Amino acid sequence: MWRRKACFPWACIGVATTCFLVWSLLGKVSAGKAVTYNLSGWRPPWGIQIRIDYVGLLMACLITGVGLMLLIYSWRYIEHELKEERIPYYYTLYLLIFTAMLGFTVTGDLFNFFVFMEIFSITSYALVAITGERMALRAAFKYLLMGAISSLTVLLAIAFLYSVTGSLNMLDISTRLKSTTYLPVAGVALVLFIAGFAVKSALFPVHVWLPDAHSIAPSPISALLSALVIKMGVLGIFRILFTVYGHSFSGLSSNWNSISGVIAWAAALSIILGSVMAIIQRDLKVMIAYSSVSQIGYILLGITLVSTRGMAGGLYNILAHAMGKACFFLVAGAFIYKHGLRRIEDLRGIGRTMPVTAGAFALAALSIVGLPPSAGFVAKWYTLWGCFQKGQYAFVVIVLLGSLLSAVYCFRVVYYMFFTGARKSGVGLDEAPVTMFAPAAVLAAGTLFFGIFAGLLMPSLNNATRVLLMK
Amino acid sequence: MNFGRIFHNLNYAVSALLFLIGLYTVAVKPNLIKKLIGLNIMETSVFLFIVSVGMVDEGVAPIVTGGYKAAEAVGRVVNPIPQALILTGIVVAVSTTAVALSLCLKIYERYGILNATEILGREEP
Repeated sequence: MWRRKACFPWACIGVATTCFLVWSLLGKVSAGKAVTYNLSGWRPPWGIQIRIDYVGLLMACLITGVGLMLLIYSWRYIEHELKEERIPYYYTLYLLIFTAMLGFTVTGDLFNFFVFMEIFSITSYALVAITGERMALRAAFKYLLMGAISSLTVLLAIAFLYSVTGSLNMLDISTRLKSTTYLPVAGVALVLFIAGFAVKSALFPVHVWLPDAHSIAPSPISALLSALVIKMGVLGIFRILFTVYGHSFSGLSSNWNSISGVIAWAAALSIILGSVMAIIQRDLKVMIAYSSVSQIGYILLGITLVSTRGMAGGLYNILAHAMGKACFFLVAGAFIYKHGLRRIEDLRGIGRTMPVTAGAFALAALSIVGLPPSAGFVAKWYTLWGCFQKGQYAFVVIVLLGSLLSAVYCFRVVYYMFFTGARKSGVGLDEAPVTMFAPAAVLAAGTLFFGIFAGLLMPSLNNATRVLLMK
Repeated sequence: MNFGRIFHNLNYAVSALLFLIGLYTVAVKPNLIKKLIGLNIMETSVFLFIVSVGMVDEGVAPIVTGGYKAAEAVGRVVNPIPQALILTGIVVAVSTTAVALSLCLKIYERYGILNATEILGREEP
């Protein structure tokens, strides 16, 4: 039971069981009602409450689904990439980060929130450095410094909020904040929260840790970090702005002199600068990492526009981007596994020898750029609708320009993969192992599925955001 | 500057000062170990802040021994929740420092120096 070879099956059983349990909650949670559980029977605000509301369940299903795919992918890749004695540590850290993200999503208590955030942050620093090569250590150290400072900022903000309201339960704090006289303190706490979570979600000025960390980590970890961990930063901003502070707290509008307006402008800058930096890269994984910076800008722009459609678009974009970006990194990892290729120019003609893998990349590229009928298109459409609802035409221009720039870097790779390279006779299919291209293909098919069948999710999402913004 | 107010809230003022000192150390000093020390100073300042929130003038430790009822304990006993918060925070800080120090060890093995400007400036990825 404790043998090294038993790591992967045990991890799979754990993750698959969690996936099943989380997905079985899908029917029970809707816009108004949430599944709650009070730990040890103590009612809030005296006890810690686990509260799975709509957005929380969406994120939890995403984490378990994508996490299972990445775990299946890791089996072969980790054998190839890491030293033999580090493989059990990899699976341990993977399960820890998976648990921490799930805990972060479902908790209703602010300090529990902080503890889970720290768990996934610290395990992600370790996972970035797990290969032990020089670049990985330096990227992990930079990530650690910025991440630790941002966690401290969040802790300080929690301390400020506790000193003003005397409670740590999110809903309780939002009730007490409505009748508080210490508004400046609550305002400072809000700014500190946003600063901390902005680093975690790699928003424009503080995104500098992301390209190094995401490109140098082993590919399933890059996919995990880009697809899920930075979404936890976004979820943090969402929870602070809408659950803890609530819509009735002054400052939630899209003007540049309110906090959500500032985030929206930083997100808009992220979109443009991330895409521009991605275009000039020569290494595939660094390009995909900068693309993450750009896409997080889209997500945060949608969420902080504070309009029903915009927020639905931002939340749908989380789903679309998680699947698309995880697929990108898995495909990049498959190229590294098979041929050791990292530069984009070396990918000439690889679409002929590895068609399924390269095809998955092309399909996910549709979603990242935002072409119909992919999920990314639905998400960006709703984000644009939200911009129009609020009358922010500058953001419309920026979203469209960002899509154009994304098309440049995504389709450049597709061009190299499929439309160049001499046709050599006698070179047949040399595809990656099944457990490696199957998750990539499933994720790419997922972006297509959620684009065509957006009606499965969009009505309830629209309902949820309308209820959220009406209170 | 109203010095009376600052002396009355000395804990909070010192906590803010320590936070800024720690932030300066992390940002400016090139040695990696000094950056970690700055990080620990910042963490200490946040813990100082949290504990000061729970302090009550002339309060005793929050242990119920001789027949306190819940209602009469409010003004006399120090708030135990911030103490629980910082215990958790200290554990988190220790874990972060442990990971950071092991990274420093590995960086020293691989690079031979612990100077951040040299390390970050060397190779292009």
